[in-house]
Amino acid sequence: MIRARPLVRARAVAGIALAQLRRSPGRTLLAILAVGIAVLSVTLLGSLGAGVVGAGEEGLDTAGRDIWISGDPVDASTGPAENSIVGSHEIANEVSERGDVTGASPIGMHEVYLGTDPDELERTPAVGVQRTHEGFDFQEGGGFRTPEEAFEGGRSTDPTTEEIVLDPAVASELGVSPGDTIYVGASQETAPGEEFTVVGTSSYYSQFLGSETAALPLVDLQALAGTTGTDRATFITANVTADADRDAVRDDIATEYPEYDVRTSDEQIGAMAAERPIVMASGATLVGLAIVGGTVLTVNLFALVTYHQRTELAALRALGLSRWVLAGTIGAQGLAIGVLGGLLGLAATPPIVAGLNHLSASVVGFENLLHTPPAVYAAGLVLAIGLGTVVAVVTGWRAGRYTRIEHLDD
Amino acid sequence: MIQRVLRRSSARDSQTGGDSDANTAVRLDGVTHSYGSAGGRLDADRDPTVIALRDVALTCDSGETVGLEGPSGSGKSTILHAIAGLLVPTAGSVEILGTDITRLSDHERTRLRRRHVGIVFQRFHLLPSLSARANVALPLVQAGVPRSTRRERATTLLSDVGLSGRATHLPSELSGGECQRVAIARALATDPDVIVADEPTGELDTETGSTVLELLTDVGSDRAVVVASHDDDTLAITDRVVTLRDGSVMSDGG
Repeated sequence: MIRARPLVRARAVAGIALAQLRRSPGRTLLAILAVGIAVLSVTLLGSLGAGVVGAGEEGLDTAGRDIWISGDPVDASTGPAENSIVGSHEIANEVSERGDVTGASPIGMHEVYLGTDPDELERTPAVGVQRTHEGFDFQEGGGFRTPEEAFEGGRSTDPTTEEIVLDPAVASELGVSPGDTIYVGASQETAPGEEFTVVGTSSYYSQFLGSETAALPLVDLQALAGTTGTDRATFITANVTADADRDAVRDDIATEYPEYDVRTSDEQIGAMAAERPIVMASGATLVGLAIVGGTVLTVNLFALVTYHQRTELAALRALGLSRWVLAGTIGAQGLAIGVLGGLLGLAATPPIVAGLNHLSASVVGFENLLHTPPAVYAAGLVLAIGLGTVVAVVTGWRAGRYTRIEHLDD
Repeated sequence: MIQRVLRRSSARDSQTGGDSDANTAVRLDGVTHSYGSAGGRLDADRDPTVIALRDVALTCDSGETVGLEGPSGSGKSTILHAIAGLLVPTAGSVEILGTDITRLSDHERTRLRRRHVGIVFQRFHLLPSLSARANVALPLVQAGVPRSTRRERATTLLSDVGLSGRATHLPSELSGGECQRVAIARALATDPDVIVADEPTGELDTETGSTVLELLTDVGSDRAVVVASHDDDTLAITDRVVTLRDGSVMSDGG
């Protein structure tokens, strides 16, 4: 009648584990919450990462730029805002003349002071481009286009177009709308002398750069910054023809301009992310801490439970139960906790992501900051099962150590 | 009140063999055991060797109940552990149903214990999260007995020890005497030939202890039962008392 049946044993082990979990609901709930929070931290930070990269990709894709030319920052702390490309319009024209390129244009970045009151000017980043495009998705008004006259007879050292697109939050703060004029300048002293017309509001570059950013014609920005003579820019972007190989074009241009970095748009996203090492490291640290914290809490909890039951485990071992069966009863609890906690974390992700997106949209104007592609959920599930397995293995191993005769005397 | 506990299976005897007397279930011969011979890395850390048993000879037949008496540290528990195969003595032989278990591997010893030896502890050692019935059924899990059969057998055993109405109770809902009766039922789950009991009434009051002793007497009618105890009432139910002192047998059958 009595013979070894692994399946029967496995079912019995699962039943005992379930009974143990059911008899201590408080402990079980605490462990599930610990794993759930660890999984949630991974899915939320993963969603944020996916959202940031997604926003960057959307920005680059909407801009339709295939190739990015940039200079090495002179000072690493200034990041990509250093306008280290000299003679940018000339380089852009040269690149445009290539047969495999449909067009190229420079982009400059500079801090400007702007406001309606000369005594209360606000410092904000500004991007100089030749024209706005449909990707700006204007909340109010429209964009600008630098007229051809601005380039004729040498570029003027004074702003000529004098049109600006503001971030909606900045426009709201200043109390201006399309048609109004504001002061704009590279310093607080020069700004009151330059009046620009607000032509529209858009958060396009704000989402792209991560802070409230204004957009204006590059020639005007250079005029304000006093870099018209050197014709400085941060990037030159180019589109390639449909049949061109982007990597080959990139290599050609890189050979032609060895003093600059030439990247495709995909590489540019990676390069921009790499320039924010502290943010990336902080995110990774938070995820790491959540995982380690969840693991340590759950492992400790079950190690403690196992320690308290050491005499019972030793007694059952003495009665003939194998070490694996005894370890299995403890380990199965860890696995169950991991899976249940993981499901809890995954189930909580969508509503919390929706809440955070609503918060970020209403507070800082970033819509859909967090994205939840299937890979984010997959990562959370893998973590939960992995965590459950670690808890199972560690506590099961501890249980195995307690199944010795010495513990009968404790 | 307490009914007769399950009979032994006749097929079991054929699984073991040897040249011992047919009725002798337990035989210890020249058993010596010392603890602490393996020391630490430094001489100063080395534990002094303690001789727990010295040349102990002992037998227990089927249907016989043998009591072990002696002060703490006299070797009572060590003898029980040796009979159960929980430790291998330094020297000598320990035969269970004619098989010298000192010659078996750890795995074989565990298997023999599971099939032929039941253990009753002083402190019951029941799993607190499992019902009385589930605790009794636990030894059958290892043998791969299907759930329905385990339940049926555990229910029968609980009924035999007078706890038919307590099958679904947790250990925390049972009295000390009831817990010990559950532990005895658990020891009988695999229908063993030999029962070892270490101070089975040590945690119980006199009245409750006598109920447990009545049960043990009943159990021992067709099994070999070895009981270690300080308690005169417990020793009074045995057929023979072996007195130990400093690991040696001072008298056998006193």
